Formats: sequence, C-alpha cells, structure tokens
Amino acid sequence: MTGNLLIVLFDGLAFGMLLFVLSVGLSVTLGLMNFVNLGHGAFGMLGGYVALVVTREAGLSFFLALPAAFVGAAVVGIACERTLFRRLYRSGELNQVLFTVGLVFVATAIATFLFGTGQQPIQIPDVLRGSVEIGGLRFGIYRIFLIVVALAVTAALIFGLEFTRFGASVRAAVDNQRVAQGLGIDVDTIFAITFALGCGLAGLGGALAIEIVGLDPTFAFHYLIYVLIVVAVGGLGSIGGSFLAAALLGIADVGGKYFVPELGSFLIYLLMVGVLFWRPLGLFGKR
Amino acid sequence: MAEPLLELDDVSAGYGEGIVLDHVSVFLPAGGSLALLGRNGVGKTTMILTIMGFLSLAGGAVRFRGQDVSRLAAHQRARRGIGWVPQERDIFPSLTVEENLTVAARAGRWDLASIYGLFPRLHERKGNMGNQLSGGEQQMLTIGRTLMTNPDVLLLDEPLEGLAPIIVEELTAAIRRMARDEGMALVLVEQHAEVALDLTEDAVVIERGVIAHRAKSHDLLADRETLDRFVGLNLAAE
Ligand SMILES: Nc1ncnc2c1ncn2[C@@H]1O[C@H](COP(=O)(O)OP(=O)(O)OP(=O)(O)O)[C@@H](O)[C@H]1O
Ligand SMILES: [Mg+2]
Repeated sequence: MTGNLLIVLFDGLAFGMLLFVLSVGLSVTLGLMNFVNLGHGAFGMLGGYVALVVTREAGLSFFLALPAAFVGAAVVGIACERTLFRRLYRSGELNQVLFTVGLVFVATAIATFLFGTGQQPIQIPDVLRGSVEIGGLRFGIYRIFLIVVALAVTAALIFGLEFTRFGASVRAAVDNQRVAQGLGIDVDTIFAITFALGCGLAGLGGALAIEIVGLDPTFAFHYLIYVLIVVAVGGLGSIGGSFLAAALLGIADVGGKYFVPELGSFLIYLLMVGVLFWRPLGLFGKR
Repeated sequence: MAEPLLELDDVSAGYGEGIVLDHVSVFLPAGGSLALLGRNGVGKTTMILTIMGFLSLAGGAVRFRGQDVSRLAAHQRARRGIGWVPQERDIFPSLTVEENLTVAARAGRWDLASIYGLFPRLHERKGNMGNQLSGGEQQMLTIGRTLMTNPDVLLLDEPLEGLAPIIVEELTAAIRRMARDEGMALVLVEQHAEVALDLTEDAVVIERGVIAHRAKSHDLLADRETLDRFVGLNLAAE
C-alpha cells in the first residue's frame, strides 16, 4: 500500500511537472502582461506536432525535437504577437478571450487537416525508456526525466526574471509601462520576447507530453483546462505558485483516478474550487 | 543665439481631442536651464509629456540636438538623451533600489558609484524594494534612475513637491551641483518659484496652455509683481 502510494505520488508529480512546463508561460504572460491567451494550449499542441515531424519525418533524435518544439512554438508565438495579439492588449478581456478561443479552433482544424484525428505516437530514445528500481519500487525513467526538465525550467525562469537585467526590465515594464518607456526601455520588444518565451515553453511541454498523454487535435482544448487550473490555483505571474499548483494538480489527478476511480477526473475540480475558496487569488497570487 | 539643445517649435498638443498646449515655443541651449512656472493645471506636465512623446502633436515640432524627434516613440527619445523625471515619482515597486537604478542605465559619466556619491542615502538602502522608501528617498531614486541613463537634458517635473524642508534643501543642492558643476541642461517645473528661479537661468510662465511671460530667472525673481500675478505667491510660504 505505501509502495502504491509512493508510485502514485511519483507518477502524479511527473504529470504535474508536465503541466507546469505547459502552463508556466501562460502564468507569466497573463500575470505580467494582462493578456488572456486561451490559445496557449494550441502552442503546446504545435510543439507536439513539431516534435513529431522532427523525429518521424526527419528521423532526428527526440533530444533535438525538444529544442525544435520550443523554437517552433516561440517563433509562431512571436509572429502571432506582432501581427494579431498586440492589437488586443488594450481592447478588454472579452475580446481577448473570444479571439484566442477562435484561434484554438483554427489550430485544431489545421492539425486535423495535416495529421488527421488519430493519436500520434512518438519515438523516444532508448535511454529514456524503462524504469529503475529503488527500494523495490520501479520508477519510470521518462518520468524522472520530466521532473528534471521541469526543475531546470523553474531554475532558469527564476534566475532570468529575478537576477538578470532583462528580468528587471520585464518587471519594470509591468510595474509602470509609461515610466519604463520614458527611461528608454523598449517595452514592446520586451513583451514580445516574453510572450515568445511563454509560447516556447508551451511547445516544449507539448513535445514532452506526447509520451505520457498522446497527441491529437483535441490537445489544445483538453489541456487548456489543466493549464487554466494551474494558473488560477498558482496565482497569476507566480512561477513558484504555478510549480506548486501543477504538482498538486498532477498528484490529485493521478491519485484520484487510482484510489477513487468513482470520482475519476472530477477530483481536480474539487481541489481547484477548494483552493480558490480558501485563497481566491491562488496560492501565491497578489492580484 | 547658442545652438539649441531642445526646442519646441509652435507646439500644440493635448489629450485626445482636447488641446491643452496652444502654439507653444520654447528653446533651451546646451547646458542651459529653464524654469517652467505656472499654477495648478495650466499645462506644465502636459508640456513635459509632449517633449517625451507620450502625447500626439496637433501641430508644430519637437527638436532635439537639431533633429526633429516629433515622430519618435518615447523610448527612442529617451535613448537620444532626453531624461524624464516624472511628477508622480513612480518608483518600480517590484525592483530593489539598486535595480531601479540599473534597469535602464546607459554608459556614461553617471554610474552607481557617482549616484551613491550624490545621494548617499540610496546606498544605505540599495537592497530595499522600491516601495519601502520615504518620499524624499523616492525622489532621490527617481532622479538617480534618470541620471543613470546619462541624458543630455533633465526634465524635472515638480521634484520638490510634498517633501520636508530639509529634504528640499538636500535635493536643491544636488540639482545645483548637476547644473552648475556638471553642466547638465535642465527643464525644471516647480510651484516653489523662488527655488526654481534660483536654480535656473531662464524662465517661462505658462497660463492656460500658452506662454504668458518670458524672463531671465534672475530678473523674474526680483519682479514680485509679475510673479504674484502669474504664479501666486508661493514665495510667502517659504
Ligand atoms: N490624462 C489626461 N486626460 C485629459 N486631460 C488631462 C489629462 N491630464 C491632464 N489633463 C488636463 O490638462 C490640463 C493641464 O494639466 P497638467 O497636468 O499639464 O497641469 P500641470 O500644470 O502639470 O499642473 P500641476 O501643477 O497640478 O501638476 C488640465 O486642465 C488637466 O485637466
Ligand atoms: Mg504637473
């Protein structure tokens, strides 16, 4: 029983880390730029298909597919930001919601057209397959890999935002856009880069997700729900909050399906409602 | 006439449809200093915001170092050397004091060491967050933050507003050092006419968006009658 519990905790944590990589970009862009991008899941899906093309069509390694997924989603993200989203920064949340949801429909249609509706498997390298045995319990290597990647992303984000000049100018631009501009900070470019990084992380998450949850054109909508829960529970703009919320959500989801299958995937919604009753701004939310 | 550093040439500007500045022309030579005086709401901040490029021009041109900058975005004007010290101070609260100073810094004569030399209190508080400072310290930080961009002209929008007399004295001394010893060009918006006139060479008085009076600061300081008419005697309160 404790063994099962440990494995469920571990699997849940790994799933949570996947959700973290998928969502943290939205938390940053929503929290910092107040732009409601419900298309975030579509960038995750895009990363997934990029990884698929790189491994299957081009025959390259999964380890190359991950950075390719990041770059692909970031480039498309910055193109969307420059041409479409920036027009919506001042136009109210309802417009942003409607537009970006529309974008998800478009993305879903394009994915269906190009790849069909079926689940797409991905080839992962042998070193990531199988499991290691520790104290009589078997831990999946791929899940360990997910946890390591998520920790590295967290460390890089916190370092980038808190300890670099770029991070300081992002925070300055968020605190007071006009004054930042008046001091010579190019706020437009900074927001575009931040947005691209957020999309890139979603793309990376999408590529990492295929091995665990598969990939089909419903991905963008299906994972949008998880992403929004992570962002709401964690608190807007809080990297630490997203991390904690994603871990909780992953563990609750896996644990719920294992121990209380009658509740099934409903448990996570209960968890979200509970946390938001307790802290309406999320675990680490400031506004 | 000396080569102009900053020039407003027949500028009209305002918010949306409403025109606040009505055909205003002002000129500042390199190393010069100009006091912008006038009662509440006459358009002093509007003029500063127009120079920075936050308001769209309804007419005229803003020139800086001989080039028309009317179409440049605010951050481009700042990078060319226009240094804005906003009226509301607007410290970045989620940055430390030192980050506030370095976030927009550009290389030049002013660096962290020289700012800490000018305002030693900021050095003591360099690890504090921007919003944990007193009003006077915030104003020092605002000025220091702009100096760190190494501008050619400093636009100071009521830097002494609401500060205790001892802090006013400290800041006045710092501004004097910048102008006299460093040759920094200044545009100084102030309600304390006496202080502003003492710190500057030239003065203009604004009234409802037009320039109502121009004078040498030194002469205006002696001309109590004109001052009283346009600015009201903040002098008496000194
Ligand atoms: N954001 C704004 N939108 C519309 N009108 C404005 C705005 N800001 C100021 N005004 C108007 O422009 C006029 C000039 O305001 P401005 O802030 O330039 O005055 P000021 O001389 O700086 O006054 P103070 O000494 O109080 O700072 C005022 O009539 C004011 O009502
Ligand atoms: Mg003003």
